[in-house]
Amino acid sequence: MTQLTVEDLHKRYGDHEVLKGVSLSAEAGDVITIIGSSGSGKSTFLRCINFLEQPDAGRIHVAGEEIRLVRGGDGHLKVADAKQLQRLRTRLAMVFQHFNLWAHMTVIENVMEAPVHVLGLSKAEARERAEAYLDKVGIAKFRDAYPAHMSGGQQQRVAIARALAMEPAVLLFDEPTSALDPELVGEVLKVMRALAEEGRTMVVVTHEMGFAREVSSQVVFLHQGLAEEVGAPAAVFDQPRSERLRQFLSGSLK
Amino acid sequence: MLHGYAASLLDGAWLTFQVAVLSLVLALTLGLAGASAKLSKLRLLRAPAVAYTTIVRGIPDLVMMLLVFYGGQMLINIATDALEWDYVDVNPFVAGVATLGFIFGAYFTETFRGAFLAVPAGQLEAGAAYGMSRWQIFSRILFPQMLRHALPGLGNNWQVMQKSTALVSIIGLSDITWLADQAGRSTHQPFLFYAVVCAFYLAMTALSSVVFNHLERRYSVGVRRSAA
Amino acid sequence: MIEWSVITDSLPQYASGLWLTAQLTVLSLAAGLMMAIPLSVMRISRKRLVAGPVWAFTYFFRGTPMLVQLLLIYYGLGQFEWIQGQWQADNTFWLIFREPYGCALVTFTLNTCAYTTEILAGALRTTPHGEIEAAQACGMSRVTMLRRILIPGALRRALPAYSNEAIFMLHGTAIASTVTLMDLTGAARNAYSQHFAPFEAFIFAGLLYLTLTFALVGLFRLAERRYLAHLQPRKAIKGPTT
Repeated sequence: MTQLTVEDLHKRYGDHEVLKGVSLSAEAGDVITIIGSSGSGKSTFLRCINFLEQPDAGRIHVAGEEIRLVRGGDGHLKVADAKQLQRLRTRLAMVFQHFNLWAHMTVIENVMEAPVHVLGLSKAEARERAEAYLDKVGIAKFRDAYPAHMSGGQQQRVAIARALAMEPAVLLFDEPTSALDPELVGEVLKVMRALAEEGRTMVVVTHEMGFAREVSSQVVFLHQGLAEEVGAPAAVFDQPRSERLRQFLSGSLK
Repeated sequence: MLHGYAASLLDGAWLTFQVAVLSLVLALTLGLAGASAKLSKLRLLRAPAVAYTTIVRGIPDLVMMLLVFYGGQMLINIATDALEWDYVDVNPFVAGVATLGFIFGAYFTETFRGAFLAVPAGQLEAGAAYGMSRWQIFSRILFPQMLRHALPGLGNNWQVMQKSTALVSIIGLSDITWLADQAGRSTHQPFLFYAVVCAFYLAMTALSSVVFNHLERRYSVGVRRSAA
Repeated sequence: MIEWSVITDSLPQYASGLWLTAQLTVLSLAAGLMMAIPLSVMRISRKRLVAGPVWAFTYFFRGTPMLVQLLLIYYGLGQFEWIQGQWQADNTFWLIFREPYGCALVTFTLNTCAYTTEILAGALRTTPHGEIEAAQACGMSRVTMLRRILIPGALRRALPAYSNEAIFMLHGTAIASTVTLMDLTGAARNAYSQHFAPFEAFIFAGLLYLTLTFALVGLFRLAERRYLAHLQPRKAIKGPTT
């Protein structure tokens, strides 16, 4: 079943066109990684999917339902129904580069927050869920700690548990290891790898080429706002067709 | 205009302004002295400064003002009796300025102390390493930078202090509030006259924030603004 | 040297004065804070029609002396015939403004509300943007986000500045004595005028204020330890490091 389709997404900042029509489709269990140099628009693309940024054109379906859009008076695309967007956002859980945990809540409160106050679960249900997912990411011991008292890797694992607790259709990862010290990257990638093996649907923007090659079902190479090359990891990494992808993979386009 | 009380209120405004500025000068002096004492290595200097800031900041300014005004009068009476001099009245202007200066000296002490501590020690070491004397390090490096750190706090204290000047009306000084009170009673239009007093204070605080913003901009040369 | 009888004779007045001071402080702080929460949300609105009136309110009350505000309300309102008419008609709401107690409470509440609104608005503005994005991304509505993320975070960050405001308010209530109220300062002024012993009368009141101040500081320190635990230096956390 198709969990997420994005059709012909456009986004510009003033005169600068960041996305020039990018599409993507994720079936259940797909792990799609988006790679590209900084400035290629890959983070913007991910943030447009759940409308943290407003795309200028395009269509987005989440779990079979299209996000209804209207063109506002200023010519920009707007969400037609805020309630619908809120509902569909609960189906798209996001993991951020800088974790974005809520500082005044403990670990378990962070994970329980949206299930209780957005999904409407009872506290007991949410707690059970939260404990299970904290256990899964190996952070159950820290349930009563505050985010500021934890390492970046630990915080990011809490953020992943927070996303999982929504039991979403698709997990969106926005450079989840880029803000981490090198020695902490491994623990987060290990968790993500386990999630992929469970068959969760994931869209991952990343610089971790090893992860992209070994875990993804599909790799998208974004360059100057276009999907320059799309394919299975073996094809993309071992037989790059475009010169730019070859340059990128050899490290000169980083 | 204002039933003939305009000139009188203007006199009161001028008096209030004088009280504010003179108290500021006194408070700045006490604040610098207090901060130096608090940062001193000598306990003998530190302890009284700590007591000063703790006690003053723990007591309402009105209570302090009544104490200085009435207590001061009593001390003077005792002194004049002992010396067999004539009776001397405590001047409410002096009492007002002395109390406000004394009270806000404690707040300025804390502001200056924080500002002195905010200057990185490495810069003082650099001064010493280049052969500067202690006075040169103080006047060329420590003081100018301290001032920049102190400015926002000084601005805040000054804003609070201006409004505290209204308290001098309670000890009988004919400041703008006291005169407005009188005018209100005789014309039966107290609201009108208090509203004029409000307008005066609003103008004074607005003008002050313009001046302080200007100063802060001037003294923040060489400081990188954090991207907003 | 110390005339102890000045204090002992007036002890009942000091006690009831202390009670009135505590009442005025606590009631005005509580009411002011309650009103400041919605006002601070309005204050940071991008809509000028929403933020503008709140700005004007805080600008007036923060830009003028609280003493003048109190006099304006207590002596000033009686100037208007319409209000006198309400008093004659025994309109309960407007009768508040004939009593010094009501006027003091209203003035103090509005004053602390203005300062607290600005403190909270500042704290709301410093909400880390990432926390807002995370809330949006998991589908929170604007109201839920305000209620669960923005306001609880801002209240906590505002605590140190608010503790200063609370102490200012405690000290500010001393001007209640200018409208005939027998608060702690009123009791001291009374004791002074009966015995002409300024040191005993005012120093004793000062000591009581100092005690109240320390109590307030202590309470806020406890509150900070409880509600700002997430900002405090990390305690040793037991557990695996990877």
